[in-house]
Amino acid sequence: MDHAAVSPSRSHSSHDRRAHWLIALGALGVAGVLAYGAASIPSDAGYAGVGPNFLPWVVATVLAVCGVWLLWEAATGGFRQLEEPSGAERGDWPAFAWVSAGVLANATLITTAGFVLSCALCFALAVRGLRLSEGKPAGGVRQTVMDAITGMLISAPVYWLFTKLLAINLPGLTGTGWI
Amino acid sequence: MLETWTHLMGGFATAISPVNLLWAFVGCAVGTAIGVLPGLGPAVTVAMLLPITSQVEPTASMIFFAGIYYGAMYGGSTTSILLNTPGETGTMVTALEGFKMARSGRAGAALATAAIGSFVAGTIATVLVTLFAPIVAEHAVKLGPPEYFLLMVLAFLTVSAVLGKSTLRGLTALFLGLGAGLIGMDQISGQVRYTAGIPEFMDGIEVVLIAVGLFAVGEVIYNAMYEGRSVTEMNRLNKVHMTGSEWRRSWPAWLRGTALGFPFGTIPAGGSEIPTFLSYATEKKLSKHKNEFGTVGAIEGVAGPEAANNSAVTATLVPLLTLGIPTSVTAAILLSALQNYGIQAGPQLFETSSTMVWALIASLYIGNVMLLILNLPLVGLWVKLLKIPRPQLYAGILIFATVGVYGMRQSSFDLFVMYGIGLLGVLMRRYDFPVAPVIVGMILGPLAEAQLRNAMSIGEGKWGVFVERPASLFLLVVVALVLLLPRLARLWQRRNAAGGAPV
Repeated sequence: MDHAAVSPSRSHSSHDRRAHWLIALGALGVAGVLAYGAASIPSDAGYAGVGPNFLPWVVATVLAVCGVWLLWEAATGGFRQLEEPSGAERGDWPAFAWVSAGVLANATLITTAGFVLSCALCFALAVRGLRLSEGKPAGGVRQTVMDAITGMLISAPVYWLFTKLLAINLPGLTGTGWI
Repeated sequence: MLETWTHLMGGFATAISPVNLLWAFVGCAVGTAIGVLPGLGPAVTVAMLLPITSQVEPTASMIFFAGIYYGAMYGGSTTSILLNTPGETGTMVTALEGFKMARSGRAGAALATAAIGSFVAGTIATVLVTLFAPIVAEHAVKLGPPEYFLLMVLAFLTVSAVLGKSTLRGLTALFLGLGAGLIGMDQISGQVRYTAGIPEFMDGIEVVLIAVGLFAVGEVIYNAMYEGRSVTEMNRLNKVHMTGSEWRRSWPAWLRGTALGFPFGTIPAGGSEIPTFLSYATEKKLSKHKNEFGTVGAIEGVAGPEAANNSAVTATLVPLLTLGIPTSVTAAILLSALQNYGIQAGPQLFETSSTMVWALIASLYIGNVMLLILNLPLVGLWVKLLKIPRPQLYAGILIFATVGVYGMRQSSFDLFVMYGIGLLGVLMRRYDFPVAPVIVGMILGPLAEAQLRNAMSIGEGKWGVFVERPASLFLLVVVALVLLLPRLARLWQRRNAAGGAPV
């Protein structure tokens, strides 16, 4: 808490430092977008002196300052007082790809395949990724079928609970309301 | 006083209707479950369930959500004691001594003191809420827009600048949230901002989307990428029972923890982390069994923080209900649930929605009893949840995330956005950006802006309005102190260290 404030935090790998740069640039980018948007908001303040474009400008400015500050930290040894992140040092990209595929497939298919099937697919794909991340085999055909069934055993009751009992709209494959 | 009593009895009459009792019970059960399970917290669970606000009446859903909120605190301690990963951030301190106790064969005693301590603290805190909330509401009516604006600024500062390690990263997160809150129609003049011509953005970005993306999807992806090889070990559960000496050591700690937790819950200090740490330090200092701390595990170190945690959580209801100011992420999401109903949280709430408020308070008394039963005799049932294999657990979270996000607006576009926000969540967690300020900024930002512009209208366009009113001047000083004190203390410490150290 005390000394870390003055000295740059522990040595980061070059990989990390690059990420620091990118994050700082990202913050600046968001600030830029917000400023661009703020410019087109009318300043019609009335007698309050503070109009609808006031807060947008404040947010854009402060974010820009934060971005510059982050950039400066990235350039001079990396972010300060960084808590060592939990878990492995390097990301498990195959696992990431499987989980991402699950979420994105779900987003693409949910309106056509219906909630139950689409979520079961998402579950099956994500489980593969999470299993890989543990260093276990992702599973063969048999296991995948089992995963898909498990996914349906979770998603179907959830679907019935929310659509039948709570009357919340979720898409179905058929009009029967059961799947 | 008598009036409070009458209101409370009325609240009980509403809360014990079979439907409301059922909601309270389901809320407590769901809360305990997600508290026990790693990966999901009360904030994101309530967020996922926000779609029900379109169907369920406000009293029932607030009882339900509140049950989830404090149920998670009961459940979280079970995980902290049995597993070397805490279930919730509020129960992190419980893990320090609780896990050690469990390892030396006293898991049952640790679980008992946690559950009974939570009950004692939760009940005392509920009594305090019952007594003080109406009084605070009565006085809060006198506050005007300048004071509200400064209170919100205070909430922003404590959640972003004071709590985290890095003020810079906290502020970045806060302003990201404030930026997200700007999207949509502005509350005062109806000006449309940052919609990029997309009609869905007119009503703003749904809180569910951001909360579920950051907390749930982000958590799942982070786990897949980084935590696959992290090993968790589990302690054996034994008979949940406390000996006479354990009772004697526990109860003073419960009371001290309750007393520490309550005030922290009512101020915007970001929830229950600070009071639990303070309680731990206090117990360690006062204990006659200092040698047990950090070795075999001291029961005071579980009893105090657990009580502080539950007391703080219950106390967050005071500022939430009387001022409309959330002091934790879950409270912020409860506020947005109220907004979904078009209910303005604030001092008027005790008049306009008196039935709901008192039913909610009454349900806290009932819920604490339910949770004691759920968590003491039935603890073995919840421990079984910890046997769910990690891949299935986290993949299952994605299904619930889909329900919350899709159920809110029936838009598959939102699911893509949710994924993007999930990636942002992974980055933030990896590079130590706090997530809470994003949510609080997003929910409280538009309200703060409205208060600011109203305040400026009162001051006829002059910023002097903030120093001319005594109450607002006082708050301004508090804001300045909150900003400056930690820095001055650090400076002073450093100078002392530099002066005292031999050259």
